[in-house]
Amino acid sequence: MSKFYDVVIAGGGVIGASCAYQLSKRRNLKVALIDAKRPGNATRASAGGLWAIGESVGLGCGVIFFRMMSANRKREAQGAAVAVESSTPHILPDSFFEFALQSNAMYPDLHRELQENHGMDFKFEKTGLKFVIYDDEDRLYAEHIVACIPHFADQVRWLDQAALRKAEPSVSHEARGALEFLCDHQVSPFRLADAYTEGARQNGVDIFFNTNVTEVLRQESRVVGVQTAEAGEFRCDTLINAGGAWAAELSEWATGTRIPVNPVKGQILLTERMPKILRGCLTTSDCYVAQKDNGEILIGSTTEDKGFDVTTTYPEINGLVQGAIRCIPELEHINLKRCWAGLRPGSPDELPILGPMKGIQGYLNACGHFRTGILTSAITGVLLDKLVNDEALPLDITPFLADRFDVQKPAMVNLAEMA
Amino acid sequence: MSLHPVIVGGGPAGMAAAIELARHGVHCTLLEEAPRLGGVVYRGPLRDGVQLDYLGPRYAKALAKLHGDFQDRRALIDVCLNTRVVGAEGTRALVMLDADERAQEITYSQLLLAAGCHERSVPFPGWTLPGVMLLGGLQLQIKSGVVKPQSPVVIVGTGPLLPLVACQLHASGVTVAGVFEACAFGKIAKESLALLNKPQLFLDGMSMLAYLKLHGIAMRYGWGVVETQGEDELRSVTVAPYTRSWQPDLSRAEQVVAQTLAVGYGFIPRTQLSQQMGLEHGFSDDGYLRAAANDWQQSSEPHVHLAGDMGGIRGGEAAMLSGQIAAVSMLVQRDVLTAEEALHLRERYLAKLKSVVRFRAAVDRYTERGAGQTALPAADTVICRCENATRADIDRALSQGVQDMASLKMRTRVSMGDCQGRMCVGYCSDRLREATGRQDVGWLRPRFPIEPIPFSAFQNFGTDAFNHE
Repeated sequence: MSKFYDVVIAGGGVIGASCAYQLSKRRNLKVALIDAKRPGNATRASAGGLWAIGESVGLGCGVIFFRMMSANRKREAQGAAVAVESSTPHILPDSFFEFALQSNAMYPDLHRELQENHGMDFKFEKTGLKFVIYDDEDRLYAEHIVACIPHFADQVRWLDQAALRKAEPSVSHEARGALEFLCDHQVSPFRLADAYTEGARQNGVDIFFNTNVTEVLRQESRVVGVQTAEAGEFRCDTLINAGGAWAAELSEWATGTRIPVNPVKGQILLTERMPKILRGCLTTSDCYVAQKDNGEILIGSTTEDKGFDVTTTYPEINGLVQGAIRCIPELEHINLKRCWAGLRPGSPDELPILGPMKGIQGYLNACGHFRTGILTSAITGVLLDKLVNDEALPLDITPFLADRFDVQKPAMVNLAEMA
Repeated sequence: MSLHPVIVGGGPAGMAAAIELARHGVHCTLLEEAPRLGGVVYRGPLRDGVQLDYLGPRYAKALAKLHGDFQDRRALIDVCLNTRVVGAEGTRALVMLDADERAQEITYSQLLLAAGCHERSVPFPGWTLPGVMLLGGLQLQIKSGVVKPQSPVVIVGTGPLLPLVACQLHASGVTVAGVFEACAFGKIAKESLALLNKPQLFLDGMSMLAYLKLHGIAMRYGWGVVETQGEDELRSVTVAPYTRSWQPDLSRAEQVVAQTLAVGYGFIPRTQLSQQMGLEHGFSDDGYLRAAANDWQQSSEPHVHLAGDMGGIRGGEAAMLSGQIAAVSMLVQRDVLTAEEALHLRERYLAKLKSVVRFRAAVDRYTERGAGQTALPAADTVICRCENATRADIDRALSQGVQDMASLKMRTRVSMGDCQGRMCVGYCSDRLREATGRQDVGWLRPRFPIEPIPFSAFQNFGTDAFNHE
């Protein structure tokens, strides 16, 4: 027997949950959120940084991503391992800055709203993000970043060695200073997803956990529903693809076209609970370090092209351990509690894939959020809600449409080739 | 290639396997987390020269035999004490933390996992009060001959360990104020025939009961724990008759003064490592997860073997037999034994194992847990001690539609602490099963490291792989 909905959202990670929450606030749509957790889903694996500027200029996960790519490119060009070129940071286009910063600005209100209306606290903390500078190479990199973003001068602050020691006494004395991004903060990522989900549920969204979509139902060029393994058939006017690292498969079922979303593995370490030793989040050229609300310190993360593999591997863990000790020497004496790996839904140009696709009705993408899904979940929910309801959008989504990729060409760049 | 077999766990299963391998001239490496071999059952006194007469002559004999046989073969067994296995690298290598807290890799040709079990924690109001202990832990204390619990002691739980520990405690000079077996006497009596599969154990059981009676220690059947009282330490314990489904009848509740409460509602296999290796697992009737093994004690990866309580709770004697069978399988894999010789040996061990299994099945039937016990915790009773998650937190998550272990973990933080859910997984999965009506509600996937390890452990990681060839 079919169930009938206005909107079915496939994927209950932070993106799908945010879409469900925004749609639920209208109270005039029947919405179903369908989710099956698979090993490596990025929401649960994430660090929870809201590093709007940091990630846009290639810090956080980005610095490691960038270094890996440039090392590989050089290796390809010169046929040998060489020192990584880091003087030209990897800066995303203006469209992404706008997207990320609009989303970032929504968190203080969202935090209040979800707490007051739904009793869910996603632990929003104002932390700032400091890029710790060890050497000349790091300084050049930081200077280049600042030169590239003159319009954010008021959100950037230089700390000399004395100022850094005062602000973050636990950071290595080897550090010469830091570049701080004042508007970059953090949340608890799985609490954020849970808060959206519970808010949506309280507003009347039907939630189907542990339910796998096995097929997309179509009538000619219109998507009309999905088939699931556990809960039968769902009919709908609009299907939202929030499938995270698994979004490509769903897009292929829905549209016949496979959007270029590929899993990008990241490994993360977590320490035992510590007294508060960090005031803010840190990023170095080796790793990022964030102390969470309960005192645990999270250290991330690798960037690996390993398909859907989510094993943790000792050389990579060791690399993060050494990077963390270099940044905060006292970590040497404390305990590593857990490691895990997650799968970022990567797109070739690092931009999300949002909105409709040419020639298909009743289908919207909300995927490809790569390393910033937590940060950009807020604005993604708003955009998808407005798309479903055919209202004016707060920003131009043209740069994020799937049609930007020439999906016909088999020679399309994918991560495997880039790496 | 001359890699040795590696055995994880120096309890009866691991020791018996090492002896069997050595008996056939095969060198092996045995990793044990404790400073002494023997596991929980046969570790013996912590200090040499201590006589523990109160443990009984039969125990002393078995202890001496196992350790004696092991000593005879010691030349072919590399023993690493104080060594914790904290992770696996697929099914070809392990990561261990040695006595100096350095992480090292160890590769193997064949592996035997004999990591044993841990006790099932049963939360009730006051279960975290100092003075409340798990029964096996308390028994280990008196077996090690170092400390004795404060008198009077009350014992609650189910199964043959209750009267055994009561006798050992009394013989060692501790006052036992009462033993409360959750299952009704009639249910045990019904199993007498099956229990006679191990006549000696049955007789031991009878003589223990006679001993308790002689010394005026009340053994009450069909009674169980309700809650405890006390401010900073245990003052008294409330017990009440349990229904068939272990629901306490509070109208007949009684308070017993006690300084120590020993709680023994069964055991759960230690599957952290076997799960991390990605071996196949299944659920027991009791609801716990256990690694699957065939008649040769092989896991889903034939060169990785399982023995002892890891594959299901069957006790020390079965552990030794399954360890021996696992060793025989490894000897075939190494071409030391022919298939025919191996089969012959295995049949001998299997024949002995059969009567233990029948005896054990009877024990499992009468100690079958009643679902009513999950109702014991009050709203503010802590369920996950690492993360301070209460029963109310779990109730709320269930009312919000959470249906599986992983989601419950994210919603409430249960199991996100240092122990990775060893304490609370039993209660949480019971509640999820109750709420969803499903048998499989998922289990906690243990992450590396299985136990917390210092960052400094990685100092020389990868540069000096453990050499045991």
